[in-house]
Amino acid sequence: MKKIFLFFLIILFTENLFAQNNEIKAGNPAPEIALPAPDGQIITLSSLKGKLVLIDFWASWCPPCVKEQPELNALYEKQSKNVKAGKFEILGVSIDKNKENWEKAIKRFKIPWPQVSDLKFWKSPVTSDYGIEDLPFNVIVDEQGIIVAINLHGKKLEDFIDHYLDK
Amino acid sequence: MKYIPVVIFAMLIWSNAISAQQNRDPWSNGELMEPSVLASRISQGKANNMLILAVGPDALIKGSADIGEAHEQSNLKKLKNYLKNVPKDKEVVIYCGCCPFDRCPNVRPAFRALKEMGFKNPKLLNLPKNIKANWLDKNYPSN
Repeated sequence: MKKIFLFFLIILFTENLFAQNNEIKAGNPAPEIALPAPDGQIITLSSLKGKLVLIDFWASWCPPCVKEQPELNALYEKQSKNVKAGKFEILGVSIDKNKENWEKAIKRFKIPWPQVSDLKFWKSPVTSDYGIEDLPFNVIVDEQGIIVAINLHGKKLEDFIDHYLDK
Repeated sequence: MKYIPVVIFAMLIWSNAISAQQNRDPWSNGELMEPSVLASRISQGKANNMLILAVGPDALIKGSADIGEAHEQSNLKKLKNYLKNVPKDKEVVIYCGCCPFDRCPNVRPAFRALKEMGFKNPKLLNLPKNIKANWLDKNYPSN
């Protein structure tokens, strides 16, 4: 009887640990992302380990996300030295459905950072993995793949990246 | 007595706010359909006498027709063509589900088109967040 009790206690404890690790919050590991770029090549979040990564969840159909792209482009340009030095990267994860619209938006905003999407709209598993309820949404992940900030925009985002990379 | 101008001013602002609201949303509260209602009609096979049209990025609801994003003129034209020969008393439900209504660029032009075409029973599916939170996550019937 004692053994059974212990068994359930262990299961409960490990489940709890697992659930905590899956939660999207600072200090937890960022769930892996392995999705195709427009050319079909799979890009993974783990391949960007060693860099500070801003994961930008967006879509061409989302007006505030589209509005934010020039700001992100300015941020990327400002951090170009760190990008070249392999210290910073943006990973654009699109919740689009239509490939043509997605590619058009990338071209229109001259987005130079890697872009991925499974083109499944809100059915994309990445929206559940990251608990996304609304767009735009972003997560900043450190060199070890640990979440360090969630959903920063505008000046707050710029200041966070500046401060982090100046360390 | 001295409060009368203040009261009139306040009423003016209030009525302006109301008319602005009405200008923004072409639907009334009575024209919103709750997802649970549509989901149960689809599950029970009672949705055959209605048209369910997706006017956003994807047609995720079971049995719905994919019109495309209604903020694009070509898709709005497609919607009107689709409805051209449909009897005006047919129950037509539209949905988008990309984002909350205040930011959705598709539901307003689509709903306005239904009204302009004279549909007597147009409905907008009430998805206050998006199709994931208000439909898929509830395991309602999906394509």
